[in-house]
Order: sequence, then structure tokens, then C-alpha cells
Amino acid sequence: MITSIKDGLRTGLTTAIIFTFLILIGFTSVAANIIGDVLGNPEALNDESQLPVENLLILIGLAGFITGLVTIRKGSSPPWIDVLLRGLTGGILAGLIVGIVIYIVGSFHMEGVDFRAYLPNLGTAQLGYLLFYSTPLAASTTYLLYFTVFSLVGALVRKTLTMLTGLSTQLKNLKSRVSNWSDTKVFKSFASNQLFQAGLIILVGVGLYFLPLVWGSYWNYIMGTVAIYILLGLGLNIIVGFSGQLVLGYVAFFATGAYTFALLTAPEPHAVGLNLWVAVGLSTLVSILTGLLLGLPILRLRGDYLAIVTLGFGEIVRILIRSDLLTPLTNGPKGVTNVGQPIWRGHIFTDINYMHLLMLLVLAGLFIAKRLKDSRTGRAWIAIREDQTVAQATGVDTYKYKILALLLGAAFAGLSGALFASRNQFTGPEDFTLMVSVNVLCIVIIGGMGSLPGIVLGAFVLKGLPELLRELADYRLLAFGALLVVMMIVRPEGLWPGQNNKKGKMAAFTNSLGEDNLEERA
Amino acid sequence: MIKKFQNLNITWGTALRYIAGIIVVIYLLWRILQTTSIQGSYGPDTWMRFLITGLVIGGIYSLIAIGYTLVYGILFMINFAHGEVMMLGTFAGYFVLEAFAAISAPGSGNQNMSLLNTYPVAALVITFFVGASVSALIGYLLEKIAYRPLRGAQRLIPLISAIGASIFLQNAAQLLFGPQRRQYTNPDILWRGTGWMIPVGDKSVMLTYTGTFSFILSMLLMAGLLILVKKTRLGKSMRAVAENKQAAALMGIDVDAVISKTFIISGFLAGAAGVMWGIHNGLFNHYVGFIPGIKAFTAAVLGGVGNIPGAMVGGMLLGLLESLGPAILGIDFQLKDVIAFTILILVLIFRPSGLLGETLKEDKV
Repeated sequence: MITSIKDGLRTGLTTAIIFTFLILIGFTSVAANIIGDVLGNPEALNDESQLPVENLLILIGLAGFITGLVTIRKGSSPPWIDVLLRGLTGGILAGLIVGIVIYIVGSFHMEGVDFRAYLPNLGTAQLGYLLFYSTPLAASTTYLLYFTVFSLVGALVRKTLTMLTGLSTQLKNLKSRVSNWSDTKVFKSFASNQLFQAGLIILVGVGLYFLPLVWGSYWNYIMGTVAIYILLGLGLNIIVGFSGQLVLGYVAFFATGAYTFALLTAPEPHAVGLNLWVAVGLSTLVSILTGLLLGLPILRLRGDYLAIVTLGFGEIVRILIRSDLLTPLTNGPKGVTNVGQPIWRGHIFTDINYMHLLMLLVLAGLFIAKRLKDSRTGRAWIAIREDQTVAQATGVDTYKYKILALLLGAAFAGLSGALFASRNQFTGPEDFTLMVSVNVLCIVIIGGMGSLPGIVLGAFVLKGLPELLRELADYRLLAFGALLVVMMIVRPEGLWPGQNNKKGKMAAFTNSLGEDNLEERA
Repeated sequence: MIKKFQNLNITWGTALRYIAGIIVVIYLLWRILQTTSIQGSYGPDTWMRFLITGLVIGGIYSLIAIGYTLVYGILFMINFAHGEVMMLGTFAGYFVLEAFAAISAPGSGNQNMSLLNTYPVAALVITFFVGASVSALIGYLLEKIAYRPLRGAQRLIPLISAIGASIFLQNAAQLLFGPQRRQYTNPDILWRGTGWMIPVGDKSVMLTYTGTFSFILSMLLMAGLLILVKKTRLGKSMRAVAENKQAAALMGIDVDAVISKTFIISGFLAGAAGVMWGIHNGLFNHYVGFIPGIKAFTAAVLGGVGNIPGAMVGGMLLGLLESLGPAILGIDFQLKDVIAFTILILVLIFRPSGLLGETLKEDKV
């Protein structure tokens, strides 16, 4: 009984804090708009300045419903009276807090206090919407009512579902069936049929060839960005995913690749006018050399030290590029314009050509990464990642293999940097901030460290989805940050874990490192 | 002789490191000689100004660096979001000062006299307390939400979580308060750009009130921390947990509570540093914590990470190197961040244990 009330109150408090935070960052209005779009509600009421209130009500109801759902712990099935208590206390507390916040803010707003200087998302329009264009008291009562009722509904629904169908066990079955479908006999006989394989490859190939022709330049641009990030992800995956060295300054290699290519091909500031394909090769080479320069002294460091040193290195490269010291060489903060464009059959590369080139490179990159992973080198890397001391003891030259991983990763970055500069026809120091490194790292980690399909998936999720959800663009980085934390807690092996990490191996490994488990093992 | 060399067991890596080190030292000496003897473009007053700037910034770095060191000493993880904790302290202090400035003082009769200028000392005390407390709260929540579930996981995992938390906090601040730069409203007695004039040679240098205030306050806070760690029961248990978690737990120390308190203390110091940063420099936005955070980490490494006096010395040293360095080396002031990062890389290559640090065991590094 008392635990039920406690659980309910805790959930209610969490919901209230999250919901208030969402109000303050202006997310509620955006989410309400999206709900309106999904349901096909009219954009605005008869009066242009007012948004439809029912979208916001649906959002609040949804928040209350989710509160109710999570007040019941996973796998537990408390008696009805407890369910009622949990749903009720959670909903009332959440509604009460949010209602009070709305009441206070609303009352000040009615007296003419302007919050916008400090909290830009509490402008007149947004506040009016949050107050349902009525009085603060009425609005806050509505919040309380909606949270309470829908939280109760959520708790009851959860209870009913677990009671009626034993839903959780069924879900588990479904999950294991889905994850095991690739192991079934039918699938295996199909997959090992060579005719089938060849047909599939041809089909995919034809599809990939025609897609860029069909879907227009906007999609070519987005998918091109995704492809460049897949290449970057493949490179960083060799360093972080295979050999387990956390490098946070990956952007440095990307930048050197892009700048080498741009300076060798652009008319300004040097007018070298080198052949483009030679320039691509050279920029890859320069990136590799940069990797060597960085890697030789620092790859003896481990884990977090390495992360900070490489982060510092990435920042040094960016600061140097834009500094007055190197402006004669790099054109400083202005960047390099008119970067060289490849020529194909007598005409300059179009977006379609770029897309085809990028697709080819991604396929080649995937192939190379796959072969590397399965090679002796790859096994050495994975040994280093899993336990460096043991790897060394079994005769792996850890220093050599770590440097090799860094150089290969740098080569990928240099190549994609050259393509990036060429495709944008411009490159400037602000293209190479720390966020690029973080984005690529997110791709590798969220996809699944060391897993190749995971990287493709990660690149689509992190670079493709945000382009599609333009309305949510402002919240993208916020979501990235939260996603990283949540992923590390809930699913550290990534969305699509590689074979070595599957079936809790990673979890078992990480647990074995923990000091708390020492007694159990002994 | 030859045998002696063979016994030294020099590998290619170490040989390269030492050759690179010698080249760097020779180059630095050459630059210093060049700028000090030949050019002599800076008068003594300029040097004095650099020195003052270095000390003030160094104090702020020290306070933040202590936070890194405390957490690293206990959990062996880099609290990557520590700079963001400081940033939120800067914001909190700003809002308190704005509130004081907005309310006119009761009973003064003068409408233009705000509460801020009627009771400046009280206002400052409250500002620092609120700013530091907000940061302490954020530090506590950060540990509870983002780090505690990962205790005992592989080393990379909490670090990635910390990076995520850092991105989250930075963007949350941007979305909550807007991306524009803001300016601190100081009370009149601590107005930026006012101070004592100190004669140096035939010119005079301004010793700003804000700078002096920040420096003294950071010294006081550091002294308080040292007393806390050395003399109190909490400090004793913190040192015990840093030494060996299991043994500490067996001695009846609540390890989780000690870790929480460590995060609260480091957040408190970072928050105070954040308010100082705002009062001294004025302008800030949601990026304010990022660079000082990394610099302070550099300072912690420089002094020997995990070592509290080391963090203090490292912070001061880094502040001085950063403000004097470009002048000594005769390079552009744009490149002062490069100096900090280069120091970080050089320290980690040549003396990973830092200036005051013990040589850490393999499992700790």
C-alpha cells in the first residue's frame, strides 16, 4: 500500500519535472502541432492567431497515460486497489505540479510580466496556448483533471493487458522469434542458395543505381550526407569499435582531408590546380600522416586520457586552421571556395553522379571493413578491445595494431573529407567543430560498437531522420545527448550489435570487470 | 657503456618521444630568448597585466579542476559534463543578480536604488550561494541519473554517458534560456573595469575589483576544501573510498552516499567558479562551460589527476601559462587555447602522473 503510493508519487514527480521542462523548452507546442498534423486537425481556428486546443489536450492526455503505464513496475501485477492508488497518486501529483506551474506563470502573464528576456519559450503566443486561451485557474484545473484521469486509465489499461493476455510473456516470445528468424531453416536454405544471393545483389544494385535518378536533388543531398557519415562511421568504427580506442578528435582527420583536397584544387588561395583524383589520393595520404603524427606519441595512453588528448587535438586543428598564423595557407575563417569538381564524360559532376560515387565508396568501405574484421588483424583488434593486457600476453603487438587502426580510420576520414569539400564546393573551419566528432561517435555507439550494419542504421537514424523531421531540428542535439545516456544505461551494445557483442557477451564482459563481482568470481 | 644502454631497454616509441621532447624544449628556449631579449616589445606594465589575468583565471580553473580531480580520485572516470555544471551555475547566479537588480529597495525612498546596490554584500553572498547550490544539485542529479546505473561497467561506457550528459545539458540551457549572449549585472561596488591603479615603472596597471574578489574567494574556497578533506569525518571517508571502495564499505562507510557528496562538493565549487566567471568576465552564453571545462581538466592532469593540491597548482599554472605564454613565445593571442591543449598533450606524453601526482597503478590509469 505505502510502496504503491511512494511509487506513484515518484513517477508523478518525474513526469511533472519532464513535462515542465518540455514546456520551458517550447517542445509542447511543437509536439501538439505534430499531433495535429497526424490527426489531420485544422491548422488554426477561425481566428488565425489561435492554435487548436484539442491537440494540446491530446498531448497532456498522452503524458498522463504514459505516467499511468509506468507507475506499474515491469513484470509485476499488483492487486486492483494498488493499481488504482498508483495511477491516482501519480496522476494527481503530476497534474498538481504542472498545474501550479501553469497557474503561477499564467497569473504573472496576465499581469503583464514578460518572460521572454529570460525564458524565450514563454512568449505571449505560447503562453496563451498553454493556458487554452482561458484563465490560469481554469487551465491549471484542466491540467490536473487530464493528468489524473488519463494516468488512472493508463494504470488500468496496463493491469488489464497483463491480466487478460499475459502480454509480457507473449511479447517476449515474439521478440525471440523475431531475433531468431535469421536462424530458421527456411531462411538459411534461402540465404545459402547462390542463385538467390546473386539475384538479390543484382536487385539491390539496380535499385541503388536508379534511386538517385528518381528521387531528386533534395534527397540526393540528404542521402549524400548520410553516405559521408557512413564512411566516417566506418572509419571511426575501426578505431573505436574494433580496437577499442576512444578517439574524440576524429574531425581532425576529416578536416585535414577536406582542406588538403580544397587547397590543392581550388583557384584560391594557391591555384595548384592538381588533378582531382590525385588530390583525393593525396588528401587521404595527408590524413594518414596526421594520424601517424598523433598516434605515435599518444596511443600508449588508455581510455579516457586518450579521449581528452584527441579532443584537444581536434580543437587545435580547428583553431590553427582559422588562426591568423595559418591564414596565408588556409584562407583563415573565410574558408576555401570553388573547390574542384570532378568531371565525368565531359560534364561536371551532378548530384546524381556524386550519389553514385558515394554509394560505390560506401559499398567498398563496407567490404573493406568486413574483410578487415574477419582477418587476423581484425581479431587482434578485438582482442585488444576486450582486454589489452591479455592480448599483449598472447603475443599481439598492441601498439602496432592500435596505430594501424588509427591510420586506417584516418584514411576513411580523409577520403570522406575530400568528397565532402568537393560536394559542397566549399570548406571552412566551422565545418569541423567538435560536434562532427560527437556525431560520428554517436553513430558508431548507437548503431552498435564494431557492428557494420549498425553503422549504416546509426547514420540513417542520426543524420537522415533529423533531416526528415525538420520541425524537431532544434531538439536534435538535446535528443542525441539524452539518447547517449539512455543507450549506455539500457543497451550499451547498441541498436544492432555485432556478432561478438550479441547475446549478452558484452554485458557479461563488462560485469566481469566490475569490482562488485570480484567476490562472486572468487 | 653499450651494455648500459641496452639495459635501459629503449624502444622506438620512447626514443621518438624523447627526441621530440628535446626538439620542443630547444624550440621553446629559442622562442623565449628571442622575445625577451631581442624584441622586448612588452613593457613591465604589460607583463604585470598578464600576470594578474593569469592569477584570476587560474583561480577559476583551479576550482573547476578540483571537481575533476575529486571525481576521478573516487570513480576513475572523467566527469565530462563538469564544465556544463559550471555553466548552469553561471546562469543561476545571473538570474539571482537580475532579480536583485529588478527589485527596488524598500524604505530607501529612492526609486532608482535597487536592492542590489542597497545591500551589495548580501546580494553577492546569496548569488554565490544560489549559483553554487544549483550546480551542486545538478552534479548530484547527474551522478544519480547518468553515472550510478553504470557503476562497474566497462571504462568507456560511463565516459560516453558523460559526453551525452554534457551535450544534453548544453542544449537544454540553450533551449531554455535562448542562444544569445547575456551580461552579468554587477553591483556598483564590484563594477567591471574599476579597480586600484598600481604604478609599475612609469605606467600604471589596473587591479580590478572583480579580479581581486574572484581570486580571494577562490583561495578561501580551496582552503575550505582542504580543511574539509583533511579534518572532517566526511573528508576521511572520501579518502578511504578513493583508496579502496570495498575496504571502505567493510569499515561501515556508505560508499554511494560518499560518492554523492563528492559530486555535490565538486558541483558546489564549479558553481562558485561559474558565478566568478560571470562577475569577472561579464558576457556568457550556454557555451561558457565547455572551454573552461576542458582547460580545467588539463589543469587537473597537469597537477596530477586525483590529487587535490595538484589540481590547485595545475589550475594556477595553466592560468599563468595561458596568459603569459603567447607573449613569451611571441605568438598570436588567438592561439592561447592551442597552448593549453599542447600542454595537455605534452604532459600526458612525458609525465602522465602530472607534476604532483604519484605514479598511478596500471588499473587506475
